[in-house]
Amino acid sequence: MSAPSPKTFLRRVAAGLALSATAVAAHAAAAPADIKIGTLYASSGPFAVASQGQYEGLQFWAAAINKEGGVFVKAFNKKIPVKIVAYDDQSSTSTATTLYNQLITQDKVDVLVADFGSVLTSVAVPLAAEHHMLLIDPTGSGANFFTKPTDYLADVSIPSSTVWPIPLANYIIQQKIKRVAILYGANDFDASQATTLKEVLAKAGIKPVYDHGVPTTESNYTVLLHTIAATHPDAVLEFGYAPNDIAFLRGLSQSGLHFPMTFTIFPGQLLGLITKNVGAKALNYTYTYPTPPLVKYEKVTYGMNTADFVKAFQAANKKEPNFLDCAGYNTGLIVQHMLDMSPQFTQKDFHQAIMDMSGKTTTLLGAFDVNANGAQLGQPFPVAQIVPEGAGSKMVVVYPQDKATGKAVYPAPQQ
Amino acid sequence: MSDRSWLKRWRSGLIVLVLLAALFLFLPHVYGNESLLFTLMTFIVLAQGLNLLYGFTGYLPFGYVGFFGCGAYATSLLVLHTSLPVLLCVLGGGLAAVVMGLILGPLLRLSGAYFSIASLAASQILYYVVSNTNLADITGGPYGLKIEQVYAPAASYHTMLAVLLLATALAAYFRVSNFGMGLRAMKQDPVSAAMAGIDIVRARLITWLISAGVAGLAGGVYAWNLSVFYPEAVFTLQISVFAIVFALFGGVGTVIGPLIGAGVLYSLYSAIGISTPQYFQLIYGLLIVLLVLFMPGGVLSLFTRRGLRVF
Amino acid sequence: MELLEYAIIGGILYGIFFSLVGIGLNLIFGVMRIINLAHGQFIVLGAYAAWLVSRHFGFNPLWGVPVSIVAAAVIGFPLYYAVVPRLQRSGDPEMLSFILFFGIGQMLEALTVLGFGADQRSLPSEALGAGNIGVLGQEFPDSWWWAAAFSMAAIVALWLYFTRTKLGYATRAIMASRDEALATGISVNKVSALAFVAGLALAGIAGVFLPYLLGSVSPDLGDGLTTTSFAIVIIGSLGNPLGTVIGGLVFGLGTMLMQTYYSSWSNLVPYVLLLVIVLIRPTGLLGKAVRSV
Repeated sequence: MSAPSPKTFLRRVAAGLALSATAVAAHAAAAPADIKIGTLYASSGPFAVASQGQYEGLQFWAAAINKEGGVFVKAFNKKIPVKIVAYDDQSSTSTATTLYNQLITQDKVDVLVADFGSVLTSVAVPLAAEHHMLLIDPTGSGANFFTKPTDYLADVSIPSSTVWPIPLANYIIQQKIKRVAILYGANDFDASQATTLKEVLAKAGIKPVYDHGVPTTESNYTVLLHTIAATHPDAVLEFGYAPNDIAFLRGLSQSGLHFPMTFTIFPGQLLGLITKNVGAKALNYTYTYPTPPLVKYEKVTYGMNTADFVKAFQAANKKEPNFLDCAGYNTGLIVQHMLDMSPQFTQKDFHQAIMDMSGKTTTLLGAFDVNANGAQLGQPFPVAQIVPEGAGSKMVVVYPQDKATGKAVYPAPQQ
Repeated sequence: MSDRSWLKRWRSGLIVLVLLAALFLFLPHVYGNESLLFTLMTFIVLAQGLNLLYGFTGYLPFGYVGFFGCGAYATSLLVLHTSLPVLLCVLGGGLAAVVMGLILGPLLRLSGAYFSIASLAASQILYYVVSNTNLADITGGPYGLKIEQVYAPAASYHTMLAVLLLATALAAYFRVSNFGMGLRAMKQDPVSAAMAGIDIVRARLITWLISAGVAGLAGGVYAWNLSVFYPEAVFTLQISVFAIVFALFGGVGTVIGPLIGAGVLYSLYSAIGISTPQYFQLIYGLLIVLLVLFMPGGVLSLFTRRGLRVF
Repeated sequence: MELLEYAIIGGILYGIFFSLVGIGLNLIFGVMRIINLAHGQFIVLGAYAAWLVSRHFGFNPLWGVPVSIVAAAVIGFPLYYAVVPRLQRSGDPEMLSFILFFGIGQMLEALTVLGFGADQRSLPSEALGAGNIGVLGQEFPDSWWWAAAFSMAAIVALWLYFTRTKLGYATRAIMASRDEALATGISVNKVSALAFVAGLALAGIAGVFLPYLLGSVSPDLGDGLTTTSFAIVIIGSLGNPLGTVIGGLVFGLGTMLMQTYYSSWSNLVPYVLLLVIVLIRPTGLLGKAVRSV
């Protein structure tokens, strides 16, 4: 290979100088006027309800921190206000892809936060890696993402689906429940939970008596419930999204069937929405994963604890927060901590800050523990039972022991 | 046929191809959001591929996205299970779509609305089969597929451009060749065309397969560019819908109709998407209604009405 | 054996309701040769009407039925006169109506999201009785029986309309041959407009019961309902409204049986049925010849 021509050589030198100049400039640069946090939300489509909750929580955090003068950025040793740049992806992955790219290449955001859920987060993963940006992933729990070490992904506000159902499985084993029926939606979120659950149960020698998937859009459970009942299960576990849970619980209460234990996911996250659609009676004595704010973390090392957050959110937005609001707020907290820990204003340092705070930080969502693959191993969801109390009902955490607030009523009484 | 008249016939086509290539090679230098440009190209290809079938034979495949998804999955599975270079896998995707087109060939016996709905049903069946949990070991099921090991935004961008040029060249061919004229005769009056000696069944099948292949190639390159996707991303009906709306808006049966339709509408979509996206569905719904009532030939019909020839 | 019985009876009930879901689509096609791709969105509107009536105003959701009928008239007549005569005059009314009504459907869905928001809404179960009624030892929710009853009533009403009223005869004449009907002095537009409104009303009425059968309603249900309705209508036979009952039963039984034995494949049922029928017997189980060059 011959030496480069003088013209090429000069070009290369010029490029090199320009690069180092910008590097030096970045170091000595004046701090930016504001920290741009780019994110997406869905105003319509299947992910809208959850996505908007998450976005609200993030906005709440931004407003709160700006009231204090902004977020403290260690790299510049001063407080800088934050600005959220957000676009609507309408729950469409192709739209989300172009919008994430817009945030990265056109808006040149400083921090990139994904939209709700695995589906809308998935398209950002390779993009972020390609542009060497850390992707803050609030609620994308899909096991598919966390298969190898990466500097560009961190799941900050939801346990990865490979650890999520472990408390539930352990509870079932502890209660010596033998006949388990599992019904799950055919999507990453639900199917991976069902798989993890079955694996843990298998290790204890429990094989489900009913184990079937249903389409994600399934909304007619009458016949399914009947088929499940024919296997005489001790526990029926339904893994679905909110519309599935609603249809399932309504179908169950209408059918007159009765199971000793019934479990669904979303009453613990969107209790208001579910109660509105199925009624309190249908929820009584069912089990779920209680999530903040239904489960409270009092001792936190960073940010408001659960109770304080609920009060502040209610004061600001005139409504009670749900889990997604907490997740959004938690995301903001992690970004804040990341910025006030990171010695330099680069994506790699941001990632390192997250790794450093992992295992040492507890927030309103619980213990924060991210591994090298980006998976969240902390923030475990306990198991709770919804028990009637007076005119209303309360969430009684029944497992694990150190979080329990009462004993489960098993088998569930006929109502 | 002499060289000069060949060149004359193909002049418009060549001009369009050169312009397209220049445009999309130049744009990334001034506008950094490559994903948007890539997705724009994808939709132009799909609108063009749909135009090949609908514009020249009158069959409107509501399930066009089925071929797109087919190509995406075939390409990804080839990448995951064989050590073939990516470009061959993309070709494999196109081929898989053509095979699927052959399998679905009997649908061409149907007319108008029946065909449209049946093609929709076929694409939904493909989607549900591919995403079923029981097939997770083969197709990834609901977990989707990851082919990050071949992720190459620049290479996939240029490959999509190549597919775009191919699709446009095919449309140009349909527009100027005897084959294409035969198709249009068939569309106007199948009985007379048959009597004039045109093998209707064969011509339709070939067009159908070409259209399927174009979608399959687009799907393969799209999967390569995205490299992490769930089944919904490549089988969603929204893709069919956009392709149809874009092609209709521009004007089917022409070469530049789909280019204009997809170019204008997708850019509009992205612009609105950044400001008030909840109105987009309302706007394009209204657009379709107005189009059908007042301009069923698409934007280009505004010109043809005045006697101007469009390509 | 018991599971099979349950699936069969459930399939019949579910199927009768889905006949109602499909019949509006068939009526409109039969009379005007127009494909209402916004059909699903009209059903969803009916469901939201019932929701407004019950949650907002506190009445029994069954009042959603007359509200739907009135709304169908208010929306349907102007829509018909604005759009249909133009389509009939154009070169390809079938395909153009397809696309036009698709656009209308998108607009309706967007308006529903803007008006009601994207989350799920349900209707109070006590309103239709929160218990179960059994037959042959198999119990089904009260709301299923109500839905099936109303569906049967609507279908019988339609049959009576066709066979016992002058307007009904005129409608059938138009269905058989539009031109001949015109020639015999029937005011085709008036009768067709009525049929159009009736089709929308039937969709709205089906919508009132939808949240009970599906658990809840949200704006994005429209497209799925339209394609399922198509499957049902084509199985029975496009253009023969009473064939929709057959289509509905086939769909209902197929879905329930699939759910019992192979639940994860149950969403394939309408599409596979549609493909099979359309390839083997495109005229549907009851239909007459359709062109096929």
